[in-house]
Amino acid sequence: MKIGAYLIWAATAIGVGVVVLLGYFLDSQLVLSLRLALMRWAVLIAAAALLLGLWNLLSVHWSKVSEQYPGWPYSALLILAFLVTLSLGLMFGPDNAVMVVIFDYIQLPIETSLMALLAVSLVVAGYRVVASRRDVSSLVFAVTAFLILIGTGPWLIGNGGSLQILLGEIRNWLAQVWAAGGARGILLGVALGSIATGLRVLLAADRPYGG
Amino acid sequence: MNILGLAVLGLFVLLMLFFVSIRTRWPAAFRPIKAYQELNTAVERAVEAGERVHLSLGTGSVIGSDSAAAFAGLSLLSQVASATTTSDKPIVATAGDGAMAMLAQDTLRSVYAEANAEEHFKAISGRMLGPTPFSYTAEIPNLLDNEEVSVHVLAGSFGAEGALAADFGRRQGAFVLAGTEDVQSQALLFATTDYPLVGEELFAAGAYADAGPLHAASLRTQDAIRLMIILLIIVGTVLKTLGVIS
Repeated sequence: MKIGAYLIWAATAIGVGVVVLLGYFLDSQLVLSLRLALMRWAVLIAAAALLLGLWNLLSVHWSKVSEQYPGWPYSALLILAFLVTLSLGLMFGPDNAVMVVIFDYIQLPIETSLMALLAVSLVVAGYRVVASRRDVSSLVFAVTAFLILIGTGPWLIGNGGSLQILLGEIRNWLAQVWAAGGARGILLGVALGSIATGLRVLLAADRPYGG
Repeated sequence: MNILGLAVLGLFVLLMLFFVSIRTRWPAAFRPIKAYQELNTAVERAVEAGERVHLSLGTGSVIGSDSAAAFAGLSLLSQVASATTTSDKPIVATAGDGAMAMLAQDTLRSVYAEANAEEHFKAISGRMLGPTPFSYTAEIPNLLDNEEVSVHVLAGSFGAEGALAADFGRRQGAFVLAGTEDVQSQALLFATTDYPLVGEELFAAGAYADAGPLHAASLRTQDAIRLMIILLIIVGTVLKTLGVIS
C-alpha cells in the first residue's frame, strides 16, 4: 500500500513538473494553458499552506504557554498579537487605517530595527573574521571590504583629493572586475546546482513530498 | 520553441544517467568540504550529548524561483534527520513559508518511518517560525535558547536576514553551518559563520551525505556542463578578440 501511494505521489510530481517545465520551452497553446492552470493551483495550495503554517505556529506557542516553558510570556504575547491583528484585519480589511497604523508603527519599525542590528552584527563579524580566522581567504575578504568601504563613502578630510580618487578607482576595479567576475562564476554554479536539484525531483530521486 | 534550452536540459539528464551507469567502474571522487566533514562530527556529538539539531530551510517559498535552495536543504534535512532518529531530542526544521514547513514535516515523517522510530516524530518538529523574513529571524534566538540547540544549520534561501540568523547561532555557542543561493547573502554568511557553504556547495549536500547515486551523478554532471560552458566562454572570447564574431 505504501509503495502504491509512493508511486502515485512520484508520478503526479513528475507529470506536473514535466508539464510546467515544457511550458517554458514549447510554444504549444495546450502546454501553456496547462502550465498556467497548474501554476494557479500551486498559488492556491501555497496560500492554504500558509494558513496551515500559521496554525502550526499557533500550536507551537500554545503548547509553550500551556506547559509553562521558559519564555512562555513571549508566546502568550505572540498569540494575543496574532489574534488581535487577525480580528482587526477580518473586521476592517487590510487597507483600513487601523491596519496601516499597525503595519507602519509596529511591524515596520521592529523589522527596520532588526535590519539596523544586522549592520552592527556584520561589523563585529568582520572583526571576528580577521581576529580568529587567519587564512588567505579571510585576509583577502578583510582587505577587500576595507578598500571598498573607504573607496565608496565620502571623506571627512581630503574629500575630492587625489588619494580619494585613486581609492575610488581601486574600488571600481575591485567591484567591476574581480567581484563581478566572481559573482558571475558563483551564479553559474548556483544555476547548475538549481537545475540538478530540480531534475532530481523530476526523476524522483529527491522526494520532498515524502515516500 | 526554445530548442537550445530543451537540448541543454536533455544533455543534463543524459549525462546524469550516464554518470549513474558508470559509477562502479569510475567512482566519483569529490574534494573535501570542511563544512560537511565537521557537520557529521557535530551531529554525532549533539546526539550523544542529548542536544538538539536545528535545520533552517530559509525564508523562500515553494513556488518562487528561490525554491531550489530550500529543496537542497530538504535533502540535507533528510540525511541529518536520519542520523538523529535515536536522539532524545528530535531535530527541528523551520521555514518562513507554510508550504515549506509542510514539506519539512513530510520529510521528517518519512525519515522516522524508515527508521521505525515513528514515536519520535512530532508534527511541530517541522514548523513555520514567521511569514516574513525578519519575523522568521526574530524567533530564532528564542528557538535556539529554549530548545537547547547545539547544531544550527542554515540551508535554504536567505536574504540579508540569513547573516543575523547565523550570528544568533554563534552567540549561542552552537556549531553553525550556512549556505544559500543568493550571492550577496553568501558574502554575509562568510563573515558570520564558521562553516559557510560557498557557491553551489549547498546543492552538493546530498552527494557528500551519500544520499544516492543520482546525487553524486548530478554533481559530476554539473562539473561536466561547467567545463563545457568555460570552454565556450574561452572560445567566444578568442573569436571576439580576433574579430571573427561581432
